[in-house]
Amino acid sequence: MDKLIELGQDMVKLWSNYSGMYLDGVKNTLILALVATVIGCIIGLVCGILNTIPYSPNDSLFKRVVLKLIRGIVRVYVEVFRGTPMVLQAVFIFYGLPYFTDNTMRFSSVWAAAILIVSINTGAYMAESVRGGIISIDPGQTEGAKAIGMTHVQTMMNVILPQALRNIMPQIGNNFIINVKDTSVMFIISFTEFFAFHRYITGVNNMYFPSAAIEMIGYLTMTLIASFVLRWVEKWMDGSDSYELVQVDQLTMTAGTYSHPDRGTPFDERSKEYRERTRQGLKHGRNRGGR
Amino acid sequence: MGEMILQVNHLSKSFGTHEVLRDIDFTVSKGDVTSIIGASGSGKSTLLRCINLLENPTSGEILYHGENVVRRGFNAPAYRSRVGMVFQSFNLFSNMTVLENCIVGQVKVLKRNREEARRHAMFYLEKVGMAPYINAKPRQISGGQKQRVAIARALAMDPEVLLFDEPTSALDPEMVGEVLAVMQSLAQEGMTMLVVTHEMAFARDISTRVVYMNEGIICEEGTPAEVFGDPKKQETRDFLARFRKA
Repeated sequence: MDKLIELGQDMVKLWSNYSGMYLDGVKNTLILALVATVIGCIIGLVCGILNTIPYSPNDSLFKRVVLKLIRGIVRVYVEVFRGTPMVLQAVFIFYGLPYFTDNTMRFSSVWAAAILIVSINTGAYMAESVRGGIISIDPGQTEGAKAIGMTHVQTMMNVILPQALRNIMPQIGNNFIINVKDTSVMFIISFTEFFAFHRYITGVNNMYFPSAAIEMIGYLTMTLIASFVLRWVEKWMDGSDSYELVQVDQLTMTAGTYSHPDRGTPFDERSKEYRERTRQGLKHGRNRGGR
Repeated sequence: MGEMILQVNHLSKSFGTHEVLRDIDFTVSKGDVTSIIGASGSGKSTLLRCINLLENPTSGEILYHGENVVRRGFNAPAYRSRVGMVFQSFNLFSNMTVLENCIVGQVKVLKRNREEARRHAMFYLEKVGMAPYINAKPRQISGGQKQRVAIARALAMDPEVLLFDEPTSALDPEMVGEVLAVMQSLAQEGMTMLVVTHEMAFARDISTRVVYMNEGIICEEGTPAEVFGDPKKQETRDFLARFRKA
């Protein structure tokens, strides 16, 4: 009990001295995680779409070769960035660029480097999630869209991706939460996020454990809020569970009732709607074909 | 008989070594209501899916107003927007409301403006009796209602021909009637329709032409009176006898 009180006192002391630093770290971590997750999702989306463009033996040789090549490249990208630690990727990219270009090129800001690294890392994971999301959508949806004349791109944009995105929302959330925590390895390129400030602060005094406790609470708070927001977004995407019936005529139409456009009722005939409907009917060819 | 819209010549389709369609010849003229009947696995649905290019025929040609649609580089989306299709499993877009389902194709494919598309969609939704449900999502309505929306969605594109792939097979018996009623009124209004169906009453009473398919070939075709009243082939007689018993 005494230990806990002591810990609490130390934490308060730390917080009153360094709260600005901690909060700065939280801010940097959140911005990096958020921006990188968004960019990563876009990369993943593009890769996932490229990976699922269908081709048949009927297509031209050129199209088939290009599509196979694209799939190959995406595959290599996914395997390399998913299969190596982000710490090492950071080292390779941040220090590798000046190394390979004999110092003629280097990252002007550590922010740009950090965002780039975390983004392409997230993108590699998201590419597979998006691919999974797309193939999880019932092929009937694609056929329905094709049957009304939609092209592949239109089908994707209007029908498949909105549903696939909804289905992979938990994955996007996962990635965001992982990014909040894993951006801590960016200290290797001296990016000052939440954890980097902990290293700095414990370097100037010896209150290692109280600072770690503050970090724990900080990270947990960030991820809990993220979880909560994501749940809310998912709910919002699902839309309402109920719907309102729309009264079109004065007479209620129930399921199975067939409305006869040219019979109508005395109520209808006086209504503007009825006249409009008749006009539409004439224009759009009832009695089409006229056998 | 009106102008010829679709002409199928020597159409064959194989899945691997299994030949589903063998040398099918067949035409659709304006105003025809053709019912394709036959046992399961006889190739009826595959024929319909080939016509809408959802399957690639192995050989043969399909002429749409004289133009072969089964060739490399053919603009399939534009063709499909002129040939509507209603599926057994409805295939409504689950992420859209009923109204949105009927609008999206008009706006994206036919480039109509939203207001015009909305009015057009409402006209057909009213026709199939689904106007009160425009704000519902597909998961919130019954099978029969979904199928009526699917019909409205296809009609809203002003297709020249409507293909129906067993439109009532996935429905509870009490919902079959509402869908058939809509199809009947379309037929009476002169819509050109090609219907794969197990509803013998529809084939006999509503259609102008009946095609009986057996094991990938067209076994017999003619008016409903000819096919149902006086079938020429033994296979047709056996098939119809099985249905009469049931």
